[in-house]
Amino acid sequence: MGTTAPSGVAWYVYGVVDAAAEPPAAPAGVARHVQPLTEGGLTALVSPVALDEFGEEPVRARLEDSTWVEEKARAHEAVLEAALGTGAVVPFRFLTVYRDEAELRNFLAARRDELLSVLEGVRGKVEVGVKAFADIAALERSVAGRSPEVAELDAQIAGAQAGRAYLLQRRRDEAARAESARLVAEIARDSHARLLAAAFAGTANAVQPSELSGRPGQMVLNGAYLVPVAGSDLDRELGALAEHYAHLGISFERTGPWPPYNFVPRDLGAGDDA
Amino acid sequence: MSARDLQSRRPDGAAPYSSGQPAQLADVLERVLDKGIVIAGDIKIDLLDIELLTVRLRLLVASADKAREMGIDWWEGDPFLNRAAQQRELEERLKRLESAAGIESPSGGDSSSE
Repeated sequence: MGTTAPSGVAWYVYGVVDAAAEPPAAPAGVARHVQPLTEGGLTALVSPVALDEFGEEPVRARLEDSTWVEEKARAHEAVLEAALGTGAVVPFRFLTVYRDEAELRNFLAARRDELLSVLEGVRGKVEVGVKAFADIAALERSVAGRSPEVAELDAQIAGAQAGRAYLLQRRRDEAARAESARLVAEIARDSHARLLAAAFAGTANAVQPSELSGRPGQMVLNGAYLVPVAGSDLDRELGALAEHYAHLGISFERTGPWPPYNFVPRDLGAGDDA
Repeated sequence: MSARDLQSRRPDGAAPYSSGQPAQLADVLERVLDKGIVIAGDIKIDLLDIELLTVRLRLLVASADKAREMGIDWWEGDPFLNRAAQQRELEERLKRLESAAGIESPSGGDSSSE
């Protein structure tokens, strides 16, 4: 549709920081180097990229290439993380690309107030990820002690004939699964509520399937919390939760600090349609 | 790209509270693909939401059924799993793409919503 810029170069934008911010000692970005582009009190962190890699058609093809996606996604994150080390940062979505500098400058000037307000909202704050994992099989095994229904069925099985014992066993397994699911949901909600109370804000995201989490056990909480950069009550709460639920085989993993990806709006200002 | 391609390469058994280790790919992707400000309308290159969606859904949908089964599908903040409007929009885009590509929709043109 549109014509490509004659130079074949576009600007990849990672996010924005204060114009006064010391530029991060940025690692290699999605392209060779990262540079500040300052306009009206804001600095966008950008890399010049080739349109034959980041143009619409080439990107479409490359999104199917997991090696490319991993490399570029990690580079995007690394630049924002480096910026987080020197001050507030507003992360943009992966693959935000401007065809030319004037358009990008126009955008920064036009949205200056909204961007500054978002920047202000995350100043002095970082995102921390907390994931909780449950060993579901172990949990199902251990619910016998806490579910009267399961305990009763266990007692019946012990005194039953083979055929009836088989049917009872199936009912028992179902009851154990249901009780374990109830317990897991309760633990996840309770953990999220307690972590949320120790943070400025928080969100529970979709749990990752175990083939992605790379850990044994089922993820039962995938939370993100906005906390003070200088340290927070969240770690103490997390320690308390880990201790509290250790006997049920629940383990917690903390990630970050991350740029506040989960705590910037998806869209800027009211003028945008969602 | 499959879930297996995205599988974490970090060895298991890392200490739960330590930091400074490389972030897991799934954690990076769910942030950079799904979060952050979307500069809609000002962008000069179409960001191919369909393709991003595909990546995103491959990441997340697999977990949704399992989670529902376990009663932990209460999370907020995933517009693509939670917002019916977005789902309808996606379906419409898909239909447009299918008709542009001359592919017939497997659901057979039923346009009623649930």
